[in-house]
Amino acid sequence: MTQRDCHSQQQSGISRRHFIKGTGASIAALAALPLLPRFSFSAEHNILRVRDYGDFQSLDPGIASNLYEENISAVIYNKLIQYQPGDEWGWQLDAAEEIEQVDPTHIRFKLRPGIMFTDGFGEMTAEDVKYSYERIIDPELESPIKGDWATLKEVRVKDKYNGVIVLKEPFQALWMTTLPYMAGNIISKKATEAAGGKYSTAPPCFSGPYVLESWSPKQRTVLARNPEWKGPKPVFDEIHIFPIDDEKTAEIAFEAGDLDYTRISLSSYEMMKAKPPENSTVKNFPSLYYVWVGMNMENPVTSNPKIREAVQYAIDVPSILQAGYFGVAEPATGIVPPGLIGHRPKNIIPREARIDKAKALLAEAGYPNGIALTFDVRNKSSHITAAQVIQASLAAAGIEVQINSHDSGSFWSLGDESKGDRWKEIQMVLNRFSSAPDPYYAAQWFTKDQIGVWNWERFANEEYNDLHQKAAVESDPKKRDEMYRRMQDLMEMSGAYHFITHEANPAIYRNSIAPALRPDGLPLLRYFGKA
Amino acid sequence: MGLYFLKRLGLSVVIVVVAVTMLYGMIHLVPGDPASIMLGPRATPEMKETLRVRMGLDRPFVIQVVSFLGNVAMGDLGTDVFSNRPVARIVLEQVPHTLVLVLISMGWAAMMGIPLGAFSAIFRNTILDKITGVFSIAVIAVPSFVVALYSLLFFAVYLQWFPAIGAGEPGDLVSRLTHLVLPSLAVGLSWVGYIARLVRASMLEVMGENHIRTARAFGLPESVIIYRYALKLAILPTITLIGVSIGRMLSTAVFAEIVFARPGIGKLIYDSVITRNYNVVMGSVLVSTALFVFSTMISDWITALLDPRIRENL
Repeated sequence: MTQRDCHSQQQSGISRRHFIKGTGASIAALAALPLLPRFSFSAEHNILRVRDYGDFQSLDPGIASNLYEENISAVIYNKLIQYQPGDEWGWQLDAAEEIEQVDPTHIRFKLRPGIMFTDGFGEMTAEDVKYSYERIIDPELESPIKGDWATLKEVRVKDKYNGVIVLKEPFQALWMTTLPYMAGNIISKKATEAAGGKYSTAPPCFSGPYVLESWSPKQRTVLARNPEWKGPKPVFDEIHIFPIDDEKTAEIAFEAGDLDYTRISLSSYEMMKAKPPENSTVKNFPSLYYVWVGMNMENPVTSNPKIREAVQYAIDVPSILQAGYFGVAEPATGIVPPGLIGHRPKNIIPREARIDKAKALLAEAGYPNGIALTFDVRNKSSHITAAQVIQASLAAAGIEVQINSHDSGSFWSLGDESKGDRWKEIQMVLNRFSSAPDPYYAAQWFTKDQIGVWNWERFANEEYNDLHQKAAVESDPKKRDEMYRRMQDLMEMSGAYHFITHEANPAIYRNSIAPALRPDGLPLLRYFGKA
Repeated sequence: MGLYFLKRLGLSVVIVVVAVTMLYGMIHLVPGDPASIMLGPRATPEMKETLRVRMGLDRPFVIQVVSFLGNVAMGDLGTDVFSNRPVARIVLEQVPHTLVLVLISMGWAAMMGIPLGAFSAIFRNTILDKITGVFSIAVIAVPSFVVALYSLLFFAVYLQWFPAIGAGEPGDLVSRLTHLVLPSLAVGLSWVGYIARLVRASMLEVMGENHIRTARAFGLPESVIIYRYALKLAILPTITLIGVSIGRMLSTAVFAEIVFARPGIGKLIYDSVITRNYNVVMGSVLVSTALFVFSTMISDWITALLDPRIRENL
């Protein structure tokens, strides 16, 4: 130490002893903080706090198309019928006091008297039902959910509360995918017309048990009890919905006491199940999603059916589920999950890889020394891992796979003909679609007219198309079941599909609440209660 | 001085225009269709085309850029076709959250880093200096998202002192501040190290200069020499660093915004890029670029005000 250093330390007025004392005092004060009363962020005021994976962009039911928008719409509006919470798919009456299928193309309904729209827009009438449903098929609205009412001809109004939904042709999926879902929300004709025929984030009025109290974009949506609601009193004063897209963040927020219900990641399920946070329950629900490996039937290489079949036999589904889905998800037998009409009990191609068979098929295809294929996947960790497992098992069969990872924006335009020629380069693709509780919804993307839109495998099968048309109008559940099973057989036999999983929807909730969930674990917030 | 500011202002406008044009080009080079993403699988090709027209994507690229910049000059950032809300409003809703986070983070980082660096220089080569050095390097080396995750686990989950998510109740200052503690810790911690190391190096350099030696020869108290003469000069590079770091922090903030589920401009840009929501991407990038350029300009301005030598050279 130089003389100058000693000098500076002695005369600066801040000696090392002072500094150490100060630091010590600071550490002591920090250590004492746990003795102070904690900041409290728990639900002390009868507030339900849930996480959704995105923030809404529109609460106009004719324009909104995302599940997180429907989660709010289902609470602030009414539908004729709503999904029934529980382990089995079903519906229950909501705005309708009575509803019945009079014949294959006519559905008669009678509204409950006394359902009021807020802000002085009066009582809900059959005219509002007519307006709400017919505007969705009006080309002027450009509704993204127009397809849900594709078979709607009109809604005939009988009187104030009575009406008839008239269909152009029978449509069995209506009861499970249209009436109780996004396209089933009823809004006020008077209020919407006053708002110019459509609105986005500020609904002109509400009719459900809750109203939109406030919205802080990308932060929180607050729903408060609707004072004009005449139905059963909602249990919670307020529902706070937090848009959190990262599941790990949501898990931490739950553990910190900031949430009462959230979906959790597959990777955390086993750990949280074994040791759940205090006073909470972890449960796994079967999902409606379906994940598959698709192959482009018009690509010069994968147009060879033997190559496609070789790929099918070389994929080892159990390994994919273990590595990519942490052993939580069940294998899929097709595009229709268990519990729905059309679910197949087993696949045609075995789940376990049969490398010898794959090699033999490859040799038959004219590639005894192996072949190289590209594999397009979304840059989602479970998909990348699944792709790597597939890459490894295909390598054992002599198929060298090059994985092309895309962000979601790029991925979802891969097979879209209107966005260029990238569809021609697709050979293998790992795809994942959402679905609804009717097989029609899952099956509609693989018809001939979907080629170049969502049918990226370019699967064109007349029998499939024919069955799709017939199953949509068939009222006998047994016959529908057989039709959809056959359609999935056709898909698999084409060699263009290898079904992987329906994934899973693990969720966690506090024991102090009684969650009302669909069979797939998604929340029906208006029915949440206290345990 | 006035000419200097005018030159800086003009340069800033050029930087913003070039940056925005480059980004506009880059985002259009990446494959992806906003209409498909927004409308989902149930949309018909006609509906997608209509949306593309509404977004102006049917026009040539150059026309799109010129039109965007022209509208910006008129104060119009366009409309978000997804939510039908003005982009300026969407961006301005998010900017305050990011600005507060960045300023608080930089504020506490500077308040910790400057004294640490100064003490380190004063007690050069002592155990205190070594501890400070190790601490500084350690916090520089730890990525922000790691700090964010561990601070969440420790302070929010284990101790439950601070909330884990959100930005607090609107109008409730205490709630707002408690929601800022952990995110600002995550964003600012590494800057404590940067600032401490920079201040230490600057202080050691200044302490060896002739005017400090002269002051000592005159018998001035050491505290006066340090605070009035040495630190004032040693802090100049730190001010420049703080100005530049605001821009760096804007990008770091995106991690904090995702991990703490906070609103903010970083998260807005991220979400908009993922969904190819071009109008919002352009509006938010324009604002964040302008913020960066503006903060750099302010730091240069403060440096010029503090150091007469810089003023004279203008």
